[in-house]
Amino acid sequence: MTETTVRLRLNQQQLELIDNSIKAGESGSREELIRRALREFAAAHLVATGKTS
Amino acid sequence: MTTGRKTVQELTIEPGTGKALELRRGQVLRIEQTSGRQCADFNCFNLHDYKEFFHTGRTRHLHGLHPTKGDFLWSAPPRERPMMAIIEDTVGTNDVLYPRCSAFLFEHHYGLAVHTNCHDIQAEAQREFGLTPDDVHDSFNFFMHTGVDAAGRPFIAKNTAKRGDYVELLALMDVLAIPNVCGADVMMTSDFELKPLKLTVFEGVDRDWSRISEPPRLKNQRSPSEFKVKNIKADRELYRDSSYRPEFTNVPLQISELEVNLTDDEIAWIQQLKSTGKYGESDAEVLRYVFFTWWIGKFMHGPKHAAST
Repeated sequence: MTETTVRLRLNQQQLELIDNSIKAGESGSREELIRRALREFAAAHLVATGKTS
Repeated sequence: MTTGRKTVQELTIEPGTGKALELRRGQVLRIEQTSGRQCADFNCFNLHDYKEFFHTGRTRHLHGLHPTKGDFLWSAPPRERPMMAIIEDTVGTNDVLYPRCSAFLFEHHYGLAVHTNCHDIQAEAQREFGLTPDDVHDSFNFFMHTGVDAAGRPFIAKNTAKRGDYVELLALMDVLAIPNVCGADVMMTSDFELKPLKLTVFEGVDRDWSRISEPPRLKNQRSPSEFKVKNIKADRELYRDSSYRPEFTNVPLQISELEVNLTDDEIAWIQQLKSTGKYGESDAEVLRYVFFTWWIGKFMHGPKHAAST
């Protein structure tokens, strides 16, 4: 399985929001939180392909 | 319903008029239809600091275009405190979309240069407390039946309030409350006839307080003690402060790149989302959109204000 790196442009306030979510126990890292968002968003918005979980 | 309440004041305001009423925290103002179908415009100030006043915009943001029982009347930023709470509303057709009618409006639309209008009625009522026509603010329009059509244009519908219908407002701070009989007799607002409104001020009882939810208390509900300029400007001319040095919050905003490693499946989802044209042009834009939209839906407090995706 290959991996692709996506670089998000975020300011310090946006990073603060992400870090607050991590402090609140929603995720273990910034990357993990972003990937969780993608996973849950895709599950809710894309036609089921059997690959969103 | 007055059970257990002591009446403090009772009066009727006639067409073309309004009345400024001092209300202490815990008192209740009832605005009541005498014959029905009458819009009541309303302004509200902090009795001890008139620079804190009711704000249609924040109220609209938090409660929508038609606030009703259970909703608050909020003051303008940066104060942003609930000034009054709507604890009863027997009609449910209130409006915070339309601005007050004004002399300009009747002259412009109808060619009527001298005409009853809510701005001037409010100004005249507020003058009793030393306020000027510049202090009148956009009104809360009780009993004004409005909507927005499919094209996004606001409209005024037939007033449905009947004789005896009323709204009740609980003062959450000491306020100057100014209701007026809307002066628009050539618009749909009050069914083309101006009628008196009955006003009653009660001492509130425990039951009145039990009808409101606990409003937020946050550090960003600021007071003048936190302002860099604490005094009210007392002259009309604007001139530059030569000692001014900007101190904007969190500026400069610094952009950094957050690397996120995605699997083939995850990249495929992004491509699928990108192909809809709704989420962004690059993979990074799509992912950022997805993240914040997800976060708002999951964690943000209050109304989401998000378009369907």
